[in-house]
Amino acid sequence: MEIKLKCNCGETKCLEWAVVELQGVVEPQSTFQDRLQNLEIGILCRPSAQEVYTFTVGYHELTGSKISLKKPLLVLKKTRSVDEDQSSDTKSGNAELEVIGIIRQRILFKTRPKALISKPQPLVKERSRASGSAVTGQTT
Amino acid sequence: MEQKNPHGKGADAVLNLQPNSSISIAYHSLFGPHDDLVLLEVDEKLLEEVLHQRVSIRGQPEEDAVFCTKSKTYGIKYVGTSNSVLLIPPSGRSEYYTNELDSHQKDNSKEVAPVIKVAPGIMELHEIAPRIDKLKLLLSEEHYSFADEWENEAVDKYEKRMYNWDDLINKVQASDNELKAGLQALSAVEIDGYWRIVDEKYMDSMLQMLLHNRILNDWSLDALDEGVIMNVMKMDGFPEKLVQHCLHVYGDKLDEHEGKSCLWRLNEKRVCVHFAREVLRKGKMKLEHLMDEWRQKIPLGMCANFDMLEGEVLTERLGVETWVRGFRVCQLPSNPAERFTILFKERPKWEWKDLQPYIRDLTVPGLSSEGLLLKYTRRTQPNPEAEAVFSAR
Repeated sequence: MEIKLKCNCGETKCLEWAVVELQGVVEPQSTFQDRLQNLEIGILCRPSAQEVYTFTVGYHELTGSKISLKKPLLVLKKTRSVDEDQSSDTKSGNAELEVIGIIRQRILFKTRPKALISKPQPLVKERSRASGSAVTGQTT
Repeated sequence: MEQKNPHGKGADAVLNLQPNSSISIAYHSLFGPHDDLVLLEVDEKLLEEVLHQRVSIRGQPEEDAVFCTKSKTYGIKYVGTSNSVLLIPPSGRSEYYTNELDSHQKDNSKEVAPVIKVAPGIMELHEIAPRIDKLKLLLSEEHYSFADEWENEAVDKYEKRMYNWDDLINKVQASDNELKAGLQALSAVEIDGYWRIVDEKYMDSMLQMLLHNRILNDWSLDALDEGVIMNVMKMDGFPEKLVQHCLHVYGDKLDEHEGKSCLWRLNEKRVCVHFAREVLRKGKMKLEHLMDEWRQKIPLGMCANFDMLEGEVLTERLGVETWVRGFRVCQLPSNPAERFTILFKERPKWEWKDLQPYIRDLTVPGLSSEGLLLKYTRRTQPNPEAEAVFSAR
């Protein structure tokens, strides 16, 4: 079968998505495991005019920078147009792929997290592979 | 859109974050796995193709999908990452963009960029050779033959296993241009909307009839008038489309003169090879035998030359005798691994001059012909003067 890659961006530029990338896994506290929606992960801060950023997750601060991707990434969305025919449950409808955005740069945090001492009430903690020790986040 | 917030929300706010400011990164109200969202890496050239909607994904459910532009085919590879890649959509528009954060967000005035999903990896593209062998397979299911002309009109295409352009696009993993080239290489012709390979017997009788008529009417092999030929051949019962195909397969179109119908010149090599194949169909034979029979078959004014049979015959020296056997490169798979397997099964050792006709059509993106030989063969050369010999790795 053939799936046309649709792109409705047309003349106007594809909308750009943002990526914040960090090593390891962001691990919410167990009480939030099932309801992450709207939960704050951390604060992204640009302390100076340089493209250097900090990302504060719970008790940890990461330092990183904005870098352009050598090759852009397209954000594609798979859709299944519903068959007008009756018994469509056996037949898989026609799949479609649509370009809904583009990613040209990312803010990458690849350093070990730095522990902050006096910070109130983190909602999520960050665990990093880079840190070596398995769990670095403290719970409140 | 409605309100011109200089920083906006979502991706725009992150990408345009001003010095000495900060933004909260939070899970989207619709945060989830969102398996329907995938990331595809493209270079700027491919990006152009995508933006102009000239690309598609092709393949059957059981095949690995490929990505096709107008002229090239790309394999799709999933590359996972162990990093956390937080995807932040732009604000406004589409479903993901709306950014209604619940009231339990303490500070409403604070800017928030919502993360819709954590991307587990991306899809990468790498150029590959089209998977064109399937085309041969499909079109070989049902060759066009005399039977097609005896049967009545209403033949079910599925019963007959025939394929139109759209069927082929759906079944063969190749770009449009590669598919067209593949059809041409197979000498396929579109008859009543279906792409067909014409049976060798049918081609033979058309060519024989053409040559027969040429003698009767004293035509020149170098200037065959299409209009005249068409009329004569139609009277002999051949449909126009097939006669045209015959001219394309065995001839070359000469420059068109305005007002006149086209002139064709029969291609000596292609006509001769056709008759050599006829002879070789009998099996292994002495070289002299082939040459004798072949020369008898070819039309007057043409000259058979053994060099024409590169990629058509294998030669074998048995004592003082030379034996030949039909072995056609066009019947070998275009996948290099499969091709070399068959070649080395046929013959464990190949000299370069014998091997070359059987591999020169192989193309693998990113691999030169030397690279191809390095990858699939072992080269031995007993001394610098000796011919290099290739064997299986």
